Amino acid sequence: MNKIIMDDTIGRDTVLPALAIRNLNFWYGSNHALKDISLDFPIHQVTGMIGPSGCGKSTLLRILNRMYDLYPGQRATGEVLFDGRNILSPGLDVNVLRSRIGMVFQKPTPFPMSIYDNIAFGVRLHERLSRADMDQRVEGVLRRVALWNEVKDRLNASAAALSGGQQQRLCIARTIATRPEVILLDEPTSALDPISTARIEELLDELKQEFSIAIVTHNLQQAARCADRVAFFYMGELVEVDTADKMFTAPHAKRTQDYITGRFG
Amino acid sequence: MMSAPQSQSTDAGGWQRGGAQAVRRRLVERFVSLLCNMATVVVLFVLFSILWTLITRGAGGLSLPTFLHSTAAPGSGGGLANAIIGSCEQTGLAALIGTPIGMMAGIYLSEFGQDGRIVSLVRFVSDMLLSVPSILVGLFIYLIIVEPAGHFSGMAGTLALAVLFIPIVVRTTEDMLRLVPRAMREAAYALGAPGWRVILNVCLRSARGGIMTGILLALARISGETAPLLFTSLGNLNWSTNLNAPMASLPVTIYQYAGSAYDDWVQMAWTGALLITVAVLATNILARWWLTRNGSAQQ
Repeated sequence: MNKIIMDDTIGRDTVLPALAIRNLNFWYGSNHALKDISLDFPIHQVTGMIGPSGCGKSTLLRILNRMYDLYPGQRATGEVLFDGRNILSPGLDVNVLRSRIGMVFQKPTPFPMSIYDNIAFGVRLHERLSRADMDQRVEGVLRRVALWNEVKDRLNASAAALSGGQQQRLCIARTIATRPEVILLDEPTSALDPISTARIEELLDELKQEFSIAIVTHNLQQAARCADRVAFFYMGELVEVDTADKMFTAPHAKRTQDYITGRFG
Repeated sequence: MMSAPQSQSTDAGGWQRGGAQAVRRRLVERFVSLLCNMATVVVLFVLFSILWTLITRGAGGLSLPTFLHSTAAPGSGGGLANAIIGSCEQTGLAALIGTPIGMMAGIYLSEFGQDGRIVSLVRFVSDMLLSVPSILVGLFIYLIIVEPAGHFSGMAGTLALAVLFIPIVVRTTEDMLRLVPRAMREAAYALGAPGWRVILNVCLRSARGGIMTGILLALARISGETAPLLFTSLGNLNWSTNLNAPMASLPVTIYQYAGSAYDDWVQMAWTGALLITVAVLATNILARWWLTRNGSAQQ
């Protein structure tokens, strides 16, 4: 019924994919949650993933850093190619993988430690830095997320005292501090107010200069504003993927059109 | 001329809406809150009358010799020094032994609970221990330590208290770790942290306030236990910090003195009771302070 949609927008732009998914299937126990997905995430682009609740977009994101490993009974087949390796292969060091493919979650999740240590925690896992180098790294990433001026005088204060929007920017800073190549964002603004949301969206635009970004969002305007390419998922299938302009002006599939015009979802 | 605002709906009763039923609801409401308030007064009255009795009867014995002299024969001006040091030593050591064991078992239950059968067995045994009468714990230690060794000892008392201490810490550690949001765990894993670091640096840190409270409450609980010490550390009339010999403790001393016929011993029993209560109260207040301080630091 649904043939695999081959991703040919990449070839046209001659942009190499940072991540390439090939024939991916995923099961929660016996529930077939993702069906034969093939999708590329181009380097230095924002790839948005949209679709109604339960369509599998968050599931897909959680495969890309092997988060599903934490839970028994979850199983993936197929290939996800990253830097020449299939990240689904059993021998892979997931801790290294997760330092190269970072993730930001829906709710800000500051660790119960100081602002400084929230960032240093992830860095210390993978690198041994001198105090001066660590200070520099912390300052650098806090500047990147435009949080430095707000927190520079209280780096040793608890991160829990920050506002929700500041906490989420701290979480992004924490993620980029380990110098990943790809950043996965799972509805990063759905718990934030409009002003904080706008700041995060601006930030994404800037971060894609350096990182490849995959973002799951329920907010279609957000996908239209931030994403270079948008993938539409429905009931575990990838229905359509195209540039954001085309997706929101001239989608091919009827289901995509129904969804973006608000007929369901 | 001003006219009163007219009610929009005339058929629903206006301010008389609900009629007799509404009146009944208000009466029930008042009655139930009265009952609750009365219950609170009863509880507070009992608590404060205990405190008041202890203070009025026990304060008389609060003097320097009480803290400096060991227990002595009636009429010869003894103190409680040996009982105080014995209690501190035994409860302190029991906490030192029980805290790591209890915390590690709690971490196991909460974090490594993949195999359902072992976990539910461990949890069942721990919960059983939580409700075992403390005198049984004393008898148990008597059988496995005191009898083979041939004598009572402070160590046996310490172990009996540790057995009571551990299940409380197991339970609070597991409960507090389960309260750590899944998202926070995942965020730590997503940075490439191995499991032990996630538990140690993120989960335990996040749960430390609650776990600390559990440890302090367990400490408060064992510091008043008499029954498990009767068959284990027995008591000692002289100053002794030797774990291999019988050791005095406040609860056992109170037990022996309170039933005696000598006025100065009875006075010492009241003073000992006051000392334990104040120590437990202070521990509880400390625990609550920890919890609120930590709670407010987190949210």
